[in-house]
Amino acid sequence: MARITRRELMNILGAFGLVAVLAGLALGLPAVDRAFSAERPLQAGVPVDIGAGVTVVPPAGATLDVTGTRPGGSMGSAFFRLGAVQYKISVRPFDGDLETAAARLRQRITGNQGYQVTSAQLAVDTVDGLAGLQGGYTAPGRGGRYAVFVGDGRTIEILISGNDLDLGATLPQIEASTRTLRIDGTAR
Amino acid sequence: MISAEVRPGRAAALARVPAFWVVSALLLAGGFRMAQIASRFGTAYPIATLTAVLLFALLAVPFWLLVSELDFLEREPIELLVLAFAWGGVVATSVSIPASTALENLIAKFGSPAYAAGWGAALAAPTVEEIAKTLGVVAIVLVARPQVNSVLDGVVYGAMVGLGFQIAEDIIFAVGAVALAGQGDHIQPVIATFLLRGFLSGVWSHTLFGALAGAGIGYLVVRHDRGYARRIGVAALALLGAWASHVLWNSPLLSDGIGNGAVGLLAVLVLKGLPPLLLILWLVRHAHDREADYYVGHLATLGDPELITESEMKVLGSGSARASARRLAGERAGHAGRHAVRRLQRAQAKLAVELSREVPPDSLSCEQIRLQRKVLRGLGHPEAIAGPRSWRHTASTIVTTVVAIAVLWVALSALGGA
Repeated sequence: MARITRRELMNILGAFGLVAVLAGLALGLPAVDRAFSAERPLQAGVPVDIGAGVTVVPPAGATLDVTGTRPGGSMGSAFFRLGAVQYKISVRPFDGDLETAAARLRQRITGNQGYQVTSAQLAVDTVDGLAGLQGGYTAPGRGGRYAVFVGDGRTIEILISGNDLDLGATLPQIEASTRTLRIDGTAR
Repeated sequence: MISAEVRPGRAAALARVPAFWVVSALLLAGGFRMAQIASRFGTAYPIATLTAVLLFALLAVPFWLLVSELDFLEREPIELLVLAFAWGGVVATSVSIPASTALENLIAKFGSPAYAAGWGAALAAPTVEEIAKTLGVVAIVLVARPQVNSVLDGVVYGAMVGLGFQIAEDIIFAVGAVALAGQGDHIQPVIATFLLRGFLSGVWSHTLFGALAGAGIGYLVVRHDRGYARRIGVAALALLGAWASHVLWNSPLLSDGIGNGAVGLLAVLVLKGLPPLLLILWLVRHAHDREADYYVGHLATLGDPELITESEMKVLGSGSARASARRLAGERAGHAGRHAVRRLQRAQAKLAVELSREVPPDSLSCEQIRLQRKVLRGLGHPEAIAGPRSWRHTASTIVTTVVAIAVLWVALSALGGA
């Protein structure tokens, strides 16, 4: 049986070193990420900065998921969890009207495999008078609501998802939270 | 200095190297992962995905030619260039996608979401991507170490890994822009991404960062005249340089531009991109000159003006002088003269490499040189010398560049991308 040379041994060790570093990046880092909780408690009634000067008062009992929250200068997002229900808000620059923004959000929702918009859109507004549109959608194993607001050169998109039972219990709180959206509000 | 220990070998021997099979398995796994992503894109946005693939594949062609031309004298085997490109396009990308997300999440968890919004992408992506790309050059060293025999070889393989990464990432960004636009399977976001990422930020992007890190691996492998600690230090410094350049490019610093309008934004692109561009240009020039001195030195030992003259030796060692010689031949002897000079230069480079590999004198490739010399004599231009410095050519290059940038900017503005 042929013996393995020192050069071949070093070559094999080098190759496995390569695999080890790649595995550390592709599998190790996500494992470390999962090992630390992403949820942060929130103070009741205190507005949260979503980004681009937009704030919202989250529902009582909600937690902030920092992995989906990126409050930037010209765009941003916030990701709240209320039990098993996910409540996501994103804001970015936009120069169209409300109907166009709603159509684009619906297109993005239905662009996901198995997602369907389920009901007619209804008008909705915030305490500050920001006008918006809201509707519902279904996804495999989940249901959801969407809402979109346009103002001051920005579009604010809201996606709420969860199973029907949880949604039924939390939607009133979330809708009340949505009405607290403010542009150029006080960020915390 | 070119390492005497690591003489180039035949690429056909790849399969006998254990690491080749490990690297092949990694390429297969990465290819499978990227095919899954491409399939999802293709199902949701078939026209936009096809357009993105075609446009960025076309963009890769000039970059590929430019990178492979860097090492004119001792060209790298095509199969290794393909391997480097594929590593960047499928292995480095498929590893970087989950790893960058995880690292950015950790920045948000241990810092804050606001900090992650500003600096997350600037810190996470370069950290993961530069390591994943540099491993591509290490993979080349493991499967074909004899082919990495100068710092310039490291630059070429590093740039090729970066190019593969850049093209794959650009396609993902282009289709991502289509999804974000929410207008269905439209190609306008693809065109805007193509102009913005492909041109304005394409020059000093991953190709450049990869080249810098690759130079470090090249130094580590070939500079046996230096101590091991110094070689490791230089390789680490090169990787750090690539990382720092990438961080600077991604950073939110000056993200609002300098002053108003297009000129202010262009100034930011230049300020952020110029330092690494100048650094790598200096590095390539330095590495190229060292390699040229080595190979031209071998040709000088021939002492045969039929094969190469004194003036041609000066020309062969410089990329701009070679181009100048081809231009001069074109002016004096038309297309035939330009082509003959190109073939002559290629044949002389091949001969130089053969001499460095101690090929027996009766097996040296001199026939092509003699043939092209005869053609040039017949055209009345017997020597492939460089022409006088042409200010008209320099001015024309500058004007063309300025006009190209202006056209790009107008196109981007019209598409709403600027």
